[in-house]
Amino acid sequence: MSLYIVKRLGWIVFNLLILSLIAFALIKSVPGSFLELQMLLGQAGTTATGLTVSEIDKIRGVETEMMKRWGPTVPLWEQYITFIKGVVTLNMGPSFRWPTQTIEEIIKKTFPVSFTVAILAITIAVLIGIPLGIIAALKQNSWIDYMVSALVMIVSAIPNYVMAVFVIFLFSFWIPILPTYGWGHPKNYILPVLAMAFGPIGSIAGYMRTSLLDALKQDYIRTAWAKGGKERHVIFGHAMKNSLIPLVTILGPMISHLILGTVFVEGMFGVPGMGQYFSQAANSRDYPLMMAQTVIFGLILMIMNLVVDIIYFFLDPRIRVSRR
Amino acid sequence: MKKENKKRIGRSYWANIWRKFKKNKLAVFGLVFVFILVFLGILAPWLAPYPYDEVHYEAVWTPPNRQFWAGTDQLGRDIFSRLLYSLRNAVFVGLGAQAFITFIGVTVGLTAGFYGGTMDNILMRIVDIIYSFPSYLLNIILVLVLGRGYLSIFIAISATGWAGMARLVRGQTLSVKSRDFVEAARASGASNTRIMFRYILPNIMGPIIYAIFSGIPGVMLLESGLSLIGLGVRPPMPSWGLMISEATGQFLYNPYMLLAPAGMLVLTLLSFNFVAFGLRDALSARE
Repeated sequence: MSLYIVKRLGWIVFNLLILSLIAFALIKSVPGSFLELQMLLGQAGTTATGLTVSEIDKIRGVETEMMKRWGPTVPLWEQYITFIKGVVTLNMGPSFRWPTQTIEEIIKKTFPVSFTVAILAITIAVLIGIPLGIIAALKQNSWIDYMVSALVMIVSAIPNYVMAVFVIFLFSFWIPILPTYGWGHPKNYILPVLAMAFGPIGSIAGYMRTSLLDALKQDYIRTAWAKGGKERHVIFGHAMKNSLIPLVTILGPMISHLILGTVFVEGMFGVPGMGQYFSQAANSRDYPLMMAQTVIFGLILMIMNLVVDIIYFFLDPRIRVSRR
Repeated sequence: MKKENKKRIGRSYWANIWRKFKKNKLAVFGLVFVFILVFLGILAPWLAPYPYDEVHYEAVWTPPNRQFWAGTDQLGRDIFSRLLYSLRNAVFVGLGAQAFITFIGVTVGLTAGFYGGTMDNILMRIVDIIYSFPSYLLNIILVLVLGRGYLSIFIAISATGWAGMARLVRGQTLSVKSRDFVEAARASGASNTRIMFRYILPNIMGPIIYAIFSGIPGVMLLESGLSLIGLGVRPPMPSWGLMISEATGQFLYNPYMLLAPAGMLVLTLLSFNFVAFGLRDALSARE
């Protein structure tokens, strides 16, 4: 097992190198350069508005720092090496779009926000989705089952940014109890989390339903019934245990997708998370921030996949045997 | 499959799937709807009552009425016409990008599964790497690099999207490769290319078609997501994402502005999903 993890970690490093290379090459070939534009205007970094004197002083330093890292006279390979070094040593320099902050500061500030929202949404989705799926599977072909199946289908077709607007309408306009915009109060979490939880609720319920139905058809369940097992015992002790295993595989990617896929929802609710910073960085050609975020998102995704595989390893004895 | 063929000699693979598909009312309904939507989308320039960028200053923010069936937006543009053009846009991107994805995915998956060995290892390693990428961010970067045309959106979406298709096709190819009819074809001297495209491909078409249908809604969502953050097709060409983002600030005063594009988007995605679910059931019932 430990050999397997070491091997996987090796692949993660390799994949990240390729990802960073691709991201670097792509971003460098984007037409239009923030730095050149600012050089033309002779005021690198001063585009941000509402700055105090000390901040402007800081920007003067930032300007030379930017030129040292990304200036047109620096050869590309050197820029790439600097970038990689920056990622490894957590010293990625200032962002173009927010020149008073360094990239690691921005990520340190935004990642916890996105992560918290994603984890809360997943928790809600699990708490609602799993019981729904179980009920639907146990009462197969009843009206509850059809309702759940319909919910799964409809929810899968409603993007979270549309859901966001309906949630706003419902809880801020129709029943005005929650704030639509802003950040800082726990109340601000409720709407974005709700908007993002709907999709996962549908897919978790659907997944749970098929997986439990599948488990109930297995031979060992028939054996459990034949041995005179009580309903609660058979379903929750035997069938549930095994039907939860495949659910783990979808939860990992789901969390990472929620962390990344919050771009739209964050913008709508004014959540200061990674997604919003990425789309703004993309729109203002803030290359260093974009590259850093791409690599860090990639890292999160790969680590999530690894964690899922490790959990799977402990949950499913069949895999444990085959990998030994 | 074998059992089925014995029971009804003469009924082909496709007739079987179609027969099962037809039983699912919702799926047939979805298919009819998909045809109507594609048709409406392609004919949008002829069907739309107004050009998508025609501005009516005298009728800004008009609720739906007889003149403007779905009302007008903040510039007095007819929302109904813009919906039709957005549909056209979504159909183009959905079918176009999915065609790219299918082409690359089938080629790579078939090659990897058929030849196996080193070729399989290398190709599948590439697929694994792409799988582990944050695809959404790469899509955004690719659109920035390539510009905001149809072709660049096709490329941006398919550049990361083909990996799933390749995995599916490889798996299916592996399961079909060792069947008797492939062996027979080889014995009668068919070339590798012929075996791949004339013998293996037709037999794995079912799952591929399911994957195509279930992938299209995702592509459409991605496209409207891109235009939501200002990176889709170039305005004033409308897209549901753009219309939704323009309408969010207006939702309390002019809810129709949001409900129209959101409703169309959901309707389109649902009808594709219904077809996909029906296909899945029809395909899995065969075993």
